[in-house]
Amino acid sequence: MGNYYHPSSIKEALRLAANNSGNYMYFSGGTDLQIYRKQGLENSETIIDLNAIEATERILVKNASLQMSAFTFLEEISLSKDIQLHFPLLAQAAKSVATPVIRKTATIGGNILVNNRCTFYNQSKEWRQAVGSCMRDVGDICQVTGGKNKCYSRNVSDTAPALIALNASVVVHNQEGEEEIPLKDLYSPDGIIFHQHLDKDAILKKINIPEKPKTWWFKKLRLRKTLDFTSLTLAAVVDNKDIVRICINGMSMSPILIEESFHSLSIENLLKQARKNCKTVDNDLMPMKYRKEMMNVFLKQWWSTVYSN
Amino acid sequence: MDKVELNVNGFSHTVLVDSSETILDTLRNRLYLTGTKKCCDEGTCGSCTVHLDGKPVLGCLTPTMRCVGKKIVTIEGISAGEDLHPVQKHLVKNLGLQCGFCTPGVVMTAVPYLENNPDPSIDEIKNSLSGNLCRCTGYKKINEAIQSAAEEMNS
Ligand SMILES: Cc1cc2nc3c(=O)[nH]c(=O)nc-3n(C[C@H](O)[C@H](O)[C@H](O)COP(=O)(O)OP(=O)(O)OC[C@H]3O[C@@H](n4cnc5c(N)ncnc54)[C@H](O)[C@@H]3O)c2cc1C
Ligand code: SF4
Repeated sequence: MGNYYHPSSIKEALRLAANNSGNYMYFSGGTDLQIYRKQGLENSETIIDLNAIEATERILVKNASLQMSAFTFLEEISLSKDIQLHFPLLAQAAKSVATPVIRKTATIGGNILVNNRCTFYNQSKEWRQAVGSCMRDVGDICQVTGGKNKCYSRNVSDTAPALIALNASVVVHNQEGEEEIPLKDLYSPDGIIFHQHLDKDAILKKINIPEKPKTWWFKKLRLRKTLDFTSLTLAAVVDNKDIVRICINGMSMSPILIEESFHSLSIENLLKQARKNCKTVDNDLMPMKYRKEMMNVFLKQWWSTVYSN
Repeated sequence: MDKVELNVNGFSHTVLVDSSETILDTLRNRLYLTGTKKCCDEGTCGSCTVHLDGKPVLGCLTPTMRCVGKKIVTIEGISAGEDLHPVQKHLVKNLGLQCGFCTPGVVMTAVPYLENNPDPSIDEIKNSLSGNLCRCTGYKKINEAIQSAAEEMNS
């Protein structure tokens, strides 16, 4: 039997983490992790629930920049008048996650760190045993490719592409202190170890967005208009220095960022870069071929919206 | 096991719970409050919705230990004795249920929603209930029932 702790500060959570030598899991909302526990994919004995940590400034918009606690609920973000006014891309991305009730518990920190998904892995224990467990679980091959070296589980966060397009950074608190990292550097193109620069006991504390962009665009492809994880999410901005940042998620092990000058970008180049960086395989409810086609459709839609004005 | 005190529907209960148990299992298996339904058990269907300090949460995803010191309300605590809540009354009147398995979750989602949004459109109601799956009704009658309930609660 394990333990459950409900620390009221980050310092206390870090102390509990140190005392539990790796055999623990942080819960924030718990809306992602709880399912991994039920499916026997996450078996740490101890739960450290970050849900009671009092975050002082949850959402602070100042001089068109944004500071936000990682413990802010997605519902607060999607309903915040300040965010809707200055960062509607983020409001829309938050609103596209899961369902209205889940968004009341799910946090932005948890969404940034949501676990990668694959149709062969995110299944009940019985299902996995019947079909054969893959190497991200207890098996030794990838059930999608048959290979032994690489896992292609997909990053499915909807707010991560929006935040990366907005050039966000995150403040991470670990045993040594605080560190600010560009959000794009937190992800690694690996289906098993999909986060980097993040110790096991590190706690995501804050998210900072430096400035309001000139234009924004967001679209998510999924089977139903609600509930479903993404099959493809595209977020794009043109910033005040005319830099285009397009971030595609749901198509690879980590979000794909394309960053170019607005004046030198061509649609051919854009499609080529997206194709080159997209390492997708058939591990979603929607077929790979269709998702690849839709990626081109989304990029062309963004292009015609931005370049026709 | 941990010995904890839970406040459910205004009553205090002392129970022994496993540290990783969810409030859905505690309510059903230890307090025998089986009105809260266990269906998908993975956050997808909304049948297990309960209120935690007035906020709707999914019972299957909420650790019981997180509920200590908070007010839990379940479907058993939503009516005043035999007097049904307007949401319940209109679901019955408008035939907003068939097998009834999703109904407790629908009620527990709709009640706080209508308290905060007294005059919703049908589209807003649909969106607010988009995490509550129903395999019988096709949703039309549920949405209409919630709109009638809003009208009664507003009058
Ligand atoms: C039915 C359903 C539909 C869903 N649909 C979507 C969807 O469309 N898009 C989507 O992206 N997700 C979806 N999710 C997954 C999940 O609800 C969201 O990603 C949510 O934002 C996760 O936030 P959380 O606070 O609940 O995270 P948790 O489950 O608490 O945590 C997720 C991960 O992040 C870590 N973590 C959380 N916060 C911190 C922190 N501050 N510091 C360090 N580590 C932390 C946890 O240890 C864990 O590994 C869905 C879930 C369900 C049940
Ligand atoms: S991509 Fe392959 S190894 Fe990775 S989770 Fe899916 S089946 Fe497993």
